Amino acid sequence: MKKKLKKLVNDFSLGELRTGLKVTSKEFVNNKITVQFPEERTPISPRFRGLHALRRYPNGEERCIACKLCEAVCPANAITIDSEMREDGTRRTTQYDIDLFKCIFCGFCEEACPVDAIVETHIFDYAFESREGSIIDKKALLEIGDKNESAISKAKEEDSKYR
Amino acid sequence: MSDIEIEIDGQLVRANQGDSIINIADREGIEVPRFCYHKKLSVAANCRMCLVDVEGVPKAQPACSTPAANGMKIHTKNDKAKFAQKAVMEFLLINHPLDCPICDQGGECELQDVAMEYGSDVSKFNEGKRIVPDKGIGALIQTDMTRCIHCTRCVRFGAEVAGIVEMGGTGRGEGVKIEPFLTEGIQSELSGNMIDVCPVGALTSKPFRYEARTWQMNAVQSVARHDLVGSNIYTQSYRGKVKRVVARDNDSINETWISDRDRFSYEGLNHESRALKPKVKIDGLWQETDWQEALKFAIDGIKNNANSSEQFGVLSSKYASLEEFYLLQKLARNFGTENIDFRLDQAQLSNASSLESTITLSEIESIDHALIVGSYTRLEQPMINHRIRKATLNGASVNTINSKKFDFNYKTGLDVLTSPQKLRATLQSVLKAIHNKTNKDAPSFLSQVSPEDIHNKIADDLIESKNGVIVLGEHLNSNLDSIAITSLIEQIASAADLKIANITLSGNSLSAEKVGFMPDEKGMSAASMFNESTKAFLLMDVDLEYDFFDSKSAQDCFNQEDVFVVALSSFENQSLLNGADVILPMASYYETSGTHINFDGQAQSFSASVKSPGDSKPGWKIIKVMADLFELEGFDYIDSTQVKEQALQLSRNKSSFKDVDFENFDDSQITTHWQYTPYVTDSVTRRASALQKTNIGMIDSAFVSEATAKKLGIGNDDLYLGVPVSIVDSVAEDYVFVHTNQARKA
Repeated sequence: MKKKLKKLVNDFSLGELRTGLKVTSKEFVNNKITVQFPEERTPISPRFRGLHALRRYPNGEERCIACKLCEAVCPANAITIDSEMREDGTRRTTQYDIDLFKCIFCGFCEEACPVDAIVETHIFDYAFESREGSIIDKKALLEIGDKNESAISKAKEEDSKYR
Repeated sequence: MSDIEIEIDGQLVRANQGDSIINIADREGIEVPRFCYHKKLSVAANCRMCLVDVEGVPKAQPACSTPAANGMKIHTKNDKAKFAQKAVMEFLLINHPLDCPICDQGGECELQDVAMEYGSDVSKFNEGKRIVPDKGIGALIQTDMTRCIHCTRCVRFGAEVAGIVEMGGTGRGEGVKIEPFLTEGIQSELSGNMIDVCPVGALTSKPFRYEARTWQMNAVQSVARHDLVGSNIYTQSYRGKVKRVVARDNDSINETWISDRDRFSYEGLNHESRALKPKVKIDGLWQETDWQEALKFAIDGIKNNANSSEQFGVLSSKYASLEEFYLLQKLARNFGTENIDFRLDQAQLSNASSLESTITLSEIESIDHALIVGSYTRLEQPMINHRIRKATLNGASVNTINSKKFDFNYKTGLDVLTSPQKLRATLQSVLKAIHNKTNKDAPSFLSQVSPEDIHNKIADDLIESKNGVIVLGEHLNSNLDSIAITSLIEQIASAADLKIANITLSGNSLSAEKVGFMPDEKGMSAASMFNESTKAFLLMDVDLEYDFFDSKSAQDCFNQEDVFVVALSSFENQSLLNGADVILPMASYYETSGTHINFDGQAQSFSASVKSPGDSKPGWKIIKVMADLFELEGFDYIDSTQVKEQALQLSRNKSSFKDVDFENFDDSQITTHWQYTPYVTDSVTRRASALQKTNIGMIDSAFVSEATAKKLGIGNDDLYLGVPVSIVDSVAEDYVFVHTNQARKA
């Protein structure tokens, strides 16, 4: 009986509405959290694992030495590498393909790399126009690396103290 | 047998007095880390990795050089042993570079494995590391001597097994360097084994450099077909291509070693001249087609050109498999022809193949004397030569009767220089000397023979030996007098009670003999087939330039308009394109299952390691389908094991001894012997590029004595039949020994 009376008072005094409006009015004065992607971006951890890139040394020499440890560690078999002896006698890749449909972005390749050649950048907004487009080759990976080198090295720098 | 009892890690073990601890531990499956110890090499005890704790001895002892004694208590894993092992590991890693990611040994490296267990994860060494400059040692072995840990396995291998001391240690302490004494490259025919014995990445395979990582490859047990031994190997393939061949242990056959020919010939498989699609020649133009068309064209061509079945001839190289030999001879015989042969390079269908070896590979080790006739065994049959060398290390003596003095890797006693045409006379003298000394009545044909001093000495050695062997080599094949010589060899062997090692035929010849891949009395042999009467040929893995004794008349015959030639071949070259009318691409070594019969008569089967490239098919399948298209009976095989079972049931087809005319023989002519270097013997090896760049592969000289050169009017560096002349003392008179990688021209 007492319960019924309480509900009746609440209903007639627009109690539900007041509760709802309380949240609304609180958020009305609070700081906004909506981000206007792609003009605005949320902050990303230095350890974020996005699109892959192959890096170069400051003198322009590619870092990758075709040791194939990333290929071996990759749980999704997404990496395919072919190697050869370059004219100067160093060990280099002739082919370095990553199938982004297979990739699960676990970051093991980055962990396994002895020369910090393969890295996962903070790029996550990319699209393919065909099915074959999911496989990115060595040239494209090096391009991504060249374009984003400053961001990559900054992220590495920030993360280095935890390693 | 086992006379003492020792305790290793609390486990009671019976052993022989004097056995090294590491030997016993290996037998019992107790792991002791090691670098310098190798079961087939002498004990050096210089790496100190195998230190173990022996109770009652204050310091840890190296397990490889400490003999076991009764009641010894050994700990391989207690604190003292571990401490010693870890300390040694730390020392070894001081100067070892951290380049495992680019090292071809990475993944199969003994140092890596042992470091995982005994190494520390942090280095205490902050000083500079040692760098050692590399000296090139040839086309087969890549050196990275900075990685060397000075175990000296390669040095001991050279001195003890290869018999040519090529690597050595120079300097002291930190300055020790393992390096070749000579810079012109490794000379040994077994050099590739240094790659296998090297526990680190200091010596790696040069053709394999950076091709694939060890863990990516698929290893298949196989058998090498290049010689009579049938060395056991693993083929390692990556993405359907053979990338490397390594030795597989088999004590009764190849022990732990394989020859360079077995190890590096795989390169030829990926040669650009591979036949990939069936081809037919219509009006002189080659057209690629599919299997059905090509087979129909081949069958029709044979049927149309061979008016009677006797006009059809079947030839094969020595290197096909037992199954292929069996099916091909069955096809020919069911077709109605006896014109079947594999002895393409024999000058005379000699008695040589009827001479059976009476010794096994492992028995060769225990001989006390060997007489080598007509063989540069070191290059031609490296593994058999290795067994003879092992016998010489145990005190056996070796005499040779050769047309040139060859560079054996053991000391030979008496070397008789005899040209092929005089070989009969020499052997007759030796036989006569044996008869004289044993007071037996000599056969009548020896009545005119008077042995010289050296023949008497050779006869003495043969008679005195209790366990001697007479080795008959492949130089006999191109000797026009081979029938008489084989017969003399047999008589010498029985007169002096010797065993016979017949190594005249190489490859898989014993399989061919087993299934009777040669004509009976009605048929024609390879040498007599190139006359007008044979109008259709079926060739299997035959190279028209290299394989025939008389390649010119063979090619002339094949090139005739009205001769129809079907070639089952893995490779194409210009001579084949000129001669053949149909090319059916055949799977090559390691691409087909098969069987090899070796010197001991052991039939070793192997399965395919990789798929054959392009449209090529295994030879036995092609032959089976052809037989079906000929509508021949008895070819209902489902797999090659059925073929093998049938083939192995046959008893070896022996050609009977021919009678010899010992009276009339003209030995006044100057003769030429064309001897191939070991790296052009078969179609695959010929195309292996690294082997061709070795010292052995580049041999190309016509050796001639000064007097003979004058008679022929040639001088040093002139060309004799296209081969540079080299005037030397160590060659028989009236004779030219052409040792070359070029195709036969005489």
